[in-house]
Amino acid sequence: METIVEITNLSKEFKGKKAVEDVSFSIQSGEVVAILGPNGAGKSTSILMMLGLLHPSSGEVSLFNQRPQEQKVRERIGVMLQQVSLMDALKVKEVLALFRTYYPNPLSMEELIRLTGLQESELNKRTEKLSGGQKRRVSFALAMAGNPDLVFFDEPTVGMDSTARKEFWARVRQLADAGKTVLFSTHYLQEADDVATRILLFNEGKLVADGCPSTIKQQLLKKTVSFKAGGDFPKERFLTMTHVSDVYEEKGRVVIQTEDTDHVLASLFTEGTPVSDISIDKGRLEDAFEQLTVEQGVS
Amino acid sequence: MKMLLNECKIEIIRIFRNPYFVFWSLFMPIVFYFIFTKVVNTGVDDQDLWNKHFLMSIAIFSVMGSAIMTLGIRMVQERNEGWTTWIKVTPLPSSSYFISKMIGQSAVHLFSIAVIFMAGIIVNGVSMSFVEWLSCAAWILIASFPFLALGVLVGTMKRVDTASGVSNILYLALAITGGLWMPMEILPKTIQQIGSWLPAYHYGNGAWGIIRGQFPEFKSIAILTVYLLLFMVLSIYIRRKQEAV
Ligand SMILES: Nc1ncnc2c1ncn2[C@@H]1O[C@H](COP(=O)(O)OP(=O)(O)OP(=O)(O)O)[C@@H](O)[C@H]1O
Ligand SMILES: [Mg+2]
Repeated sequence: METIVEITNLSKEFKGKKAVEDVSFSIQSGEVVAILGPNGAGKSTSILMMLGLLHPSSGEVSLFNQRPQEQKVRERIGVMLQQVSLMDALKVKEVLALFRTYYPNPLSMEELIRLTGLQESELNKRTEKLSGGQKRRVSFALAMAGNPDLVFFDEPTVGMDSTARKEFWARVRQLADAGKTVLFSTHYLQEADDVATRILLFNEGKLVADGCPSTIKQQLLKKTVSFKAGGDFPKERFLTMTHVSDVYEEKGRVVIQTEDTDHVLASLFTEGTPVSDISIDKGRLEDAFEQLTVEQGVS
Repeated sequence: MKMLLNECKIEIIRIFRNPYFVFWSLFMPIVFYFIFTKVVNTGVDDQDLWNKHFLMSIAIFSVMGSAIMTLGIRMVQERNEGWTTWIKVTPLPSSSYFISKMIGQSAVHLFSIAVIFMAGIIVNGVSMSFVEWLSCAAWILIASFPFLALGVLVGTMKRVDTASGVSNILYLALAITGGLWMPMEILPKTIQQIGSWLPAYHYGNGAWGIIRGQFPEFKSIAILTVYLLLFMVLSIYIRRKQEAV
């Protein structure tokens, strides 16, 4: 397997304020990676640095083992930035045709038109007359114009309705099936879980977790029930419960790690375990992710 | 190379689709020309010479305006909208993007010059030798470079509103102090003195020389060159500073 993206000790400071701090990871070809994190976590800043649009304060970025600014790299990547803009005073078809001329092996015009999912009448409209969602569709097609091996999407589904979103993820899955490497950022754990093969969890500029969606999800959703146990606590019985992931002692208290605190409490009481001073706590990560939307609201 | 040509073509299409351009660079100058040579009695001794002289002024007025405004404001717009950023991640070299803007703009200027000259012939039957027409057009095209550079300088501004305000003021101030609306001689002395050190007067002066059978003055060429270099250095400096973030 080929290493496509290699980030080492990447940091970015804006006027003394750290936006990205000492982030390192590498991405192999064919991975679908979600950068997950709340507002201001440093997702966009990291992506801009990976694209060579922003100079890192320190650290290195390489794409296909080259500097991101190299022409050879640019021919192999496709990008959809958070802020979508299209050249005005041009018809959709004209912009598509223009972008095709930038790449050595572009997708066919028919293919690009298909990717926009727009009607003939909309294709002949000037770009400034499109709706926000339509602009995003065009911008997706433009990102694909050069038939890239590596694609970056910064919060791609913002402003899309649920149908458009579904369509978009279906296209991303097609890309993944075709062996392309995909990197996208999102606020939604659900999206990351559905589409990605790997999640990079960002918070306050740091990479706080890196792993497959199920592991990350567990860490995020995990809560604890802790209490003082009167006498011997039947640790094994609780460990075998499906929703309990760990039971341990800490500072004289028993701690049960679980996704379902209600159920654990119910079991404690039905078993008649002598416990006192019960407290329920959010997991290590969830505190940081109050702002992180776990489920995407239906819009 | 094909990329560059295509990019130029696109720029040209975009300029012509801009209603402001058509209004300010083609329609208004011709209306002005009509008014100041046909309607208002300017009381000049040599009406034929005035018709020629003012035709040059108005062509320069048009080209100067589109160089400063169309180019500058568009650059600010494209940067604010994020298009400029996006272009950087495509294989299109930044230089091509830039060069195509200049070439596209100049091609459009050539068209404006032709249209305005045509209007002079139709409205006032202005007649000159082919070589004279050609030299005038060449001067107006080439001596527009300092103003394109000024446009690029305006293009480094952060906000579209500021850019359009500043470029409007610059444009009108330059046009008046450069004697493009009325001859320098009838302006107040102090304005004449200031104007004679600003680029617009020298831009006009070259063409006014040509229609009188003279080669553009060396002083005009020198001053325009200095302004060109000044604006270029300034905008490169500002760009560097902006990119250093
Ligand atoms: N150009 C800039 N100048 C100063 N500070 C910046 C700049 N860009 C980003 N920041 C700061 O860096 C931090 C990270 O921002 P970034 O845009 O990377 O977050 P994000 O994870 O993409 O957030 P969002 O989900 O809102 O898009 C924020 O605190 C932001 O205020
Ligand atoms: Mg962002």
